[in-house]
Amino acid sequence: MPVRVLENTTPSQVSGANSGRSSSQSCSLLGVGQAFSGTQNVSSVQKDEAWRVNVRIQGCDLEHGYLCGTMEALNVPMADTPVVTFWEGEIVDTKNYTFFTGKWEATPEDDIRHWSKFPSFSPLLGQVEVDGGKSLDLSNYPYIFMRWKEQYFVNVGTDCGLTIAGFYYICFSCSDGSISGFYYDPNSSPYQKLELKSTNDGRSGFSFSSYELQ
Amino acid sequence: MPTPSSSPSVGLDPILDRLSSSDCEVKFKAIREVKNHIIGNRTKKLSYIKLGAVPAVAAALADSDPNLIVQSAAALGSFACGVDAGVRAVLDAGAFPRLIGLLSAPDEKVVDATARSLRMIYQSQLAPKYDFFKEENMQFLLSLLKSENENLTGLGAGIVIHSCKTIGEQNILCHAGVIEKLSSLLDGSLSQRDASLESLAAIIKDNPAAVSKFVELHSGRALRSVTDLTKDRYPRTRLLACLCLISVKNSSTCYLQDIGIKTKLVYILLELLDDSGQVGDEASFAFSSLIAEKEDMQKLAFEANAINKFNCLLQKCPVQPKRLEGVYLALADLCSKLECCRSSFLSLQVLNLVVDALTHEDAGVRTAACICLRSVSRSIKNLSAGRFMNERVVFPLVQLLSDISTSVQVAALGAISNIVVDFMPHKSTFIQCGGIKELVQLTKSMDSSLRLNALWALKNMVFLADKICKEGIFVEITASSIASLISDPEPSVQEQALALVRNFVDGCVYSIEHAFAEDAIILDAVGRQLLKSSKIEIGIQGMYVLSNIASGNEFHKEAVMKLLFPQDENGSHSFFEQFLQSHDSRVRTAAVWVVINLTFPASPGAFSRVVTLRSFGIVSQVKKMVNDSCMDVKLRARLALGQIITFGDN
Repeated sequence: MPVRVLENTTPSQVSGANSGRSSSQSCSLLGVGQAFSGTQNVSSVQKDEAWRVNVRIQGCDLEHGYLCGTMEALNVPMADTPVVTFWEGEIVDTKNYTFFTGKWEATPEDDIRHWSKFPSFSPLLGQVEVDGGKSLDLSNYPYIFMRWKEQYFVNVGTDCGLTIAGFYYICFSCSDGSISGFYYDPNSSPYQKLELKSTNDGRSGFSFSSYELQ
Repeated sequence: MPTPSSSPSVGLDPILDRLSSSDCEVKFKAIREVKNHIIGNRTKKLSYIKLGAVPAVAAALADSDPNLIVQSAAALGSFACGVDAGVRAVLDAGAFPRLIGLLSAPDEKVVDATARSLRMIYQSQLAPKYDFFKEENMQFLLSLLKSENENLTGLGAGIVIHSCKTIGEQNILCHAGVIEKLSSLLDGSLSQRDASLESLAAIIKDNPAAVSKFVELHSGRALRSVTDLTKDRYPRTRLLACLCLISVKNSSTCYLQDIGIKTKLVYILLELLDDSGQVGDEASFAFSSLIAEKEDMQKLAFEANAINKFNCLLQKCPVQPKRLEGVYLALADLCSKLECCRSSFLSLQVLNLVVDALTHEDAGVRTAACICLRSVSRSIKNLSAGRFMNERVVFPLVQLLSDISTSVQVAALGAISNIVVDFMPHKSTFIQCGGIKELVQLTKSMDSSLRLNALWALKNMVFLADKICKEGIFVEITASSIASLISDPEPSVQEQALALVRNFVDGCVYSIEHAFAEDAIILDAVGRQLLKSSKIEIGIQGMYVLSNIASGNEFHKEAVMKLLFPQDENGSHSFFEQFLQSHDSRVRTAAVWVVINLTFPASPGAFSRVVTLRSFGIVSQVKKMVNDSCMDVKLRARLALGQIITFGDN
């Protein structure tokens, strides 16, 4: 989700997906087409504020630790319409990606500080401090850690007064499909919290659609 | 403006009479004259063939005069060179067995000329298939390869290139020692080297055992010779050496995996693309076989600036169809896996050229352009940005759905399947271009690959589509037609039909009604297919269809219950259990979702459904799954059990 521009920043470039073995198990709640909704707290010292947020998963490639989708911010004060961004995610599977970001102005200390805000990260902390979690086997861990980086605005121009320079530290619960996240951008308010829950389009249950690229 | 015909002046110079003259001298001169006329001139070859000159020339093979035989053989070889009509005429004239017989002639000049002529014939696919499984044929081939005569060894290699197509043929040649014989020619003349390389490639292609034999030959000396020939001064030799090495590399992960040789192959082939002739045409196909399905090779090619190179080739006008086809297929392979390649492709504006090629007059080019578009449109980032969903791309693709060539239609469907995934709910561009009618029409094709791919495209199109879009497609395809496709003879078509239904009944609750149209003909077909099919993919899609329906209202949930637990099955056993017990975790996951949706706590009939599930042993089965080896199954089973327990443990 975009945040207000505080000063001139340019979006970081995301690298292409690396090759490597998959160590993530698929989770049906994180499949393509799945939708989530919730809020992002954008409070600052001046005032408390939360924007409503919808997320839709559009692509998932566990072999490459890749996930992507759109994020829609609904009540953005300076925008007339909901603001939609396209994001790409790195799944921390310890093969394609570790807990250390190594880019986007995030130091290992920034990483650990943010990951530590997720209670489910605490059993992993010791090892992550040693090697970024490279030697951890997360394939049976009921939480999936990710970084989501917005790549472009889908429905507004770059001159909309918003920035997508930062990225999200994300923790996904495989049990109930809930998502917690923290937005990180050295130039924005720290620890903006994202909280999303799996949605079901008014159904009495869960529905799953699918597509396959040829 | 019409110009005078270049056909031989029959009236003024009765060439046929002279070719059949009883005077040896006249006949000799006539054959020589024909031979000199037709060398390198396709038009003249065709004119003489039409005139009926070939049987007359072939008749001279039976003469006793060696000079006449030599002229005749040379002329026949020339007729056959590069012109299939010539080969056909020579074969029809009965010259082939006579030429084979003349290989044993005592006169060396006759043998030479005959061997050259036969080599020309063997360059055509029309030449008779050589049966390597006949002992006498194998002995004859070995005698050719053993010969000191360069034309005979060349003919032997030519026969291998022409007729070695199956793994059985490769193996028998390997076993007979042909690889050894051919390898010994690698040090020979230019023509021997090329013939040796090409025939070796034919024997070792996709045959790991033959590759091992070749690689281990003379402690790797043959492989080293081939590697050295990649630096040869002649482009064709370099290309053939590369093809041999590609066969070696692709056959196993043990050989030629060194980054140095991989990079070298990429650079040599990229350089060979500059050749303006056949070598340049073939280089792109060789490049494809080097990088296809191999991400590491595609990365190397990307780093070697391959996309830019192919783009430059496409800028040259005019580009011959064969070359265009090769270039688009190579670009398709380059962009098949890596996003960096697709980004480079798009930023270099190659997309515009590919779109233009969709209307090329050559079917091979149209197919290749579609395949290229299919690869590039695997970029979710660009799909989501709507990069491909515009009239300029979609309109020509939709036109290709009624192409006269099935290959073009299938390839166009492949590209469309990807492009319709634009994550937008209305798909208006595709609908406005008339795409729906065309796709639905193809689901009724007699050709199963067209049915399969048309359904695939529709399935992707219905993914996250809005009500209006779904309604438009549903009215066009009809419920009864979907039901027939679910029961199609081809399992892959059944799977796509089920996946289409799965997407139809996703989204707003109203969408579920699609499954109940025409007296629930679709739901009945789903039930029947799940009962009789044991294919995993059918199980997955079928279970998700039921799961999505079961996420609806009470009526929907009860309909799924009736399908899974028919009343006449007296409450003991249901076929549903086999899906919960599947060895495939994806089927188990989908099946547990059905249970979760049927027992969704807020729904009024959940309790009675729990009772039924319990009576059919489903609850006991779910209990067994709470420690499933697959985490997704385990977590879903726990969720299901948690819901069931809210109604009491018994």
